[in-house]
Amino acid sequence: MSLPWGRRYLMCPPEHYGVLYEINPWMHREVAVDSDRAREQWGGLVDTLKAAGATIELLEPRADLPDLVFTANAGLVNGTQFVPSRFRHPERQRETEVDIAWFAACGFRVDELPEDVHHEGAGDALPFRGVLVSGYRFRSDAASHAYVSRLTGAPVRSVELADPRLYHLDLTFCPLDDRRAIVAPDGWDGYGRKVMAALVPEPLVLELDDAMVFCANSVVVDDVVVMHDCPPAVGRRLEAWGFEVAISPVGEFLKAGGSCRCLTLALDVALTVDTQEKPLSVV
Amino acid sequence: MATELVELEGHIVDSLILAKVLDVILDAGADYDIVEFDVGRTNVDASRARIEVLHEDEDRLASLLEELQVHGANRVDSADARLVSCETDGVLPEDFYSTTNLPTQVRIGGHWIDVENPEMDCGLAVLDGGRVRTVPMHQVRRGDQIVVGLDGVRVQPPERPRGSSPFEFMASEVSSEKPKGLLVEEVARRIVDARARGGRVLAVCGPAVIHTGAGPDLARLVRDGIVDVLFAGNGFATHDIESNVLGTSLGVVLSEGRAAVHGHSNHLRVINEVRRRGSIAAAVADGYITGGVMYECVRRRVPFVLGGSLRDDGPLPDVITDVVAAADAMRAHVPGVAVALMLATTLHAIATGNILPAGVETYCVDINQAVVTKLADRGSHQALGLVTDVGLFLRELADRLT
Repeated sequence: MSLPWGRRYLMCPPEHYGVLYEINPWMHREVAVDSDRAREQWGGLVDTLKAAGATIELLEPRADLPDLVFTANAGLVNGTQFVPSRFRHPERQRETEVDIAWFAACGFRVDELPEDVHHEGAGDALPFRGVLVSGYRFRSDAASHAYVSRLTGAPVRSVELADPRLYHLDLTFCPLDDRRAIVAPDGWDGYGRKVMAALVPEPLVLELDDAMVFCANSVVVDDVVVMHDCPPAVGRRLEAWGFEVAISPVGEFLKAGGSCRCLTLALDVALTVDTQEKPLSVV
Repeated sequence: MATELVELEGHIVDSLILAKVLDVILDAGADYDIVEFDVGRTNVDASRARIEVLHEDEDRLASLLEELQVHGANRVDSADARLVSCETDGVLPEDFYSTTNLPTQVRIGGHWIDVENPEMDCGLAVLDGGRVRTVPMHQVRRGDQIVVGLDGVRVQPPERPRGSSPFEFMASEVSSEKPKGLLVEEVARRIVDARARGGRVLAVCGPAVIHTGAGPDLARLVRDGIVDVLFAGNGFATHDIESNVLGTSLGVVLSEGRAAVHGHSNHLRVINEVRRRGSIAAAVADGYITGGVMYECVRRRVPFVLGGSLRDDGPLPDVITDVVAAADAMRAHVPGVAVALMLATTLHAIATGNILPAGVETYCVDINQAVVTKLADRGSHQALGLVTDVGLFLRELADRLT
């Protein structure tokens, strides 16, 4: 059965996107971003998602916030509730007020995490089979998971991320439907691998090389998997399972350590039954 | 042993976070004790664990705590103790921390410092150089730094003597229905063990020790170096001397068990003669006292403290009649004491129990079960009681140890 979420996304046009600082192993300020190409790739992703049946909401870009384009890290959506991120790096912390303003204006209830923990939103937390899988170590704190659970009511499975190149959970895990998910166990510690092995009945296991080209950082709209690139073995398995692979290159964004998933934030996620009511102003 | 308490909350069971944290602790060469564990009822409910982490090395414990923090285990109660300066001699600050007799630690400058001399019902004074001592109310002086409130103070739970022993199957701390021979043998063994570790043995004696005819047995224990320090009152010392000089204890002829003619004044005459000589030691020196417990104490230079009371006759010149000064004199002899024998005395046993750390193995011997209960009720929970005649007990103990 298809995922119950993933048909409506928040995205931010890359008007001011660039690699202006280095906060993950992929970012190098000397590598120039081709702005025209970035705009072209981002537009291509919007078109691909729409073609797959998704609707897109837009967040106004800000000149002083180059990473605002990676909306996956804005926070956690749970029905009409929005839990904004607590970014680890000061460079991104100023994004939060922009995110809060947008969600509040759209009628979401904003519930904030305590100030002394870090959690980077949907980048480090994805729902699957009734639980919220959440990563920790590089960006989010393990201690934040108890607060996330308390605010959203969702049971959390904490997974320790083990490779700094795969610094967010959404670089290692991509739910496909109610039983299947793309997984990159190389990105997890031994305990995390056991937890995920017990959670995912039918995993599509990525080799480390495929994980490093962000295969898991894909967007799933019903039976369409939108990816930057698809290694043949991965594509064959997805097609055998009945998925259609839609390639949407986002190479300019890989320079900042993000792919398709990082550029989107699903707005139709309901972690608990009682918050499934839709906010009125978002259609 | 350095210890810290950490707390872990969330879906720590299903996420294997608890298992990981415990593994990390053991891999670091540390140990743990799960102090509290609330398991969520359903898979939606969060669980919560409080874990005490123990490591022999404080620096390694600190780096282990940093690692545990990565996994969400945060230190609980990391506050330093709050200190307030005394304003008046002999008066503790309001809200002073009132001590137990248990091993206690105080957090100062982020470090847990052992209290040097655990004693119940005292304040905690932080001295220059970061040492911490218990201090009785009357001893505090203006300007002393005293711990107030409960933050930054922790006590370690009491521990029963370990190892297979007849005490282990005592359901209560008081034994009136146990084979006494086994218990006496066990006490003897523990005295030998304590002395082998360099511990001192304290005897706290009531006059019944003399009345029951056990004076010579206790004297034997002092003479053979088994008893290192002795606490008693005017009565015990008086009857010990009376029995040696006149052969009676409170006028009763010890060898025959009958009352001597005009024997009721015997103890007064003995006190009078010791007072004439100025001290028990002087009475020994000039040959007035030629045997007994006090005689052996003087001869072997075993320190003794005789505490006075309202009903004392005389008293003997060695008796300290200022009870606060008497308690301070007793305190001076507590360091190093590993075993305390409370021998047929209620009031001196309780007074001594008040100043002993909980780690001192305490055996209370009395024919009256209530004495042992009373001692435990007043906070000396470490006391194990033998309900038996003190005369028989001491004879058997002396036979095993001398």
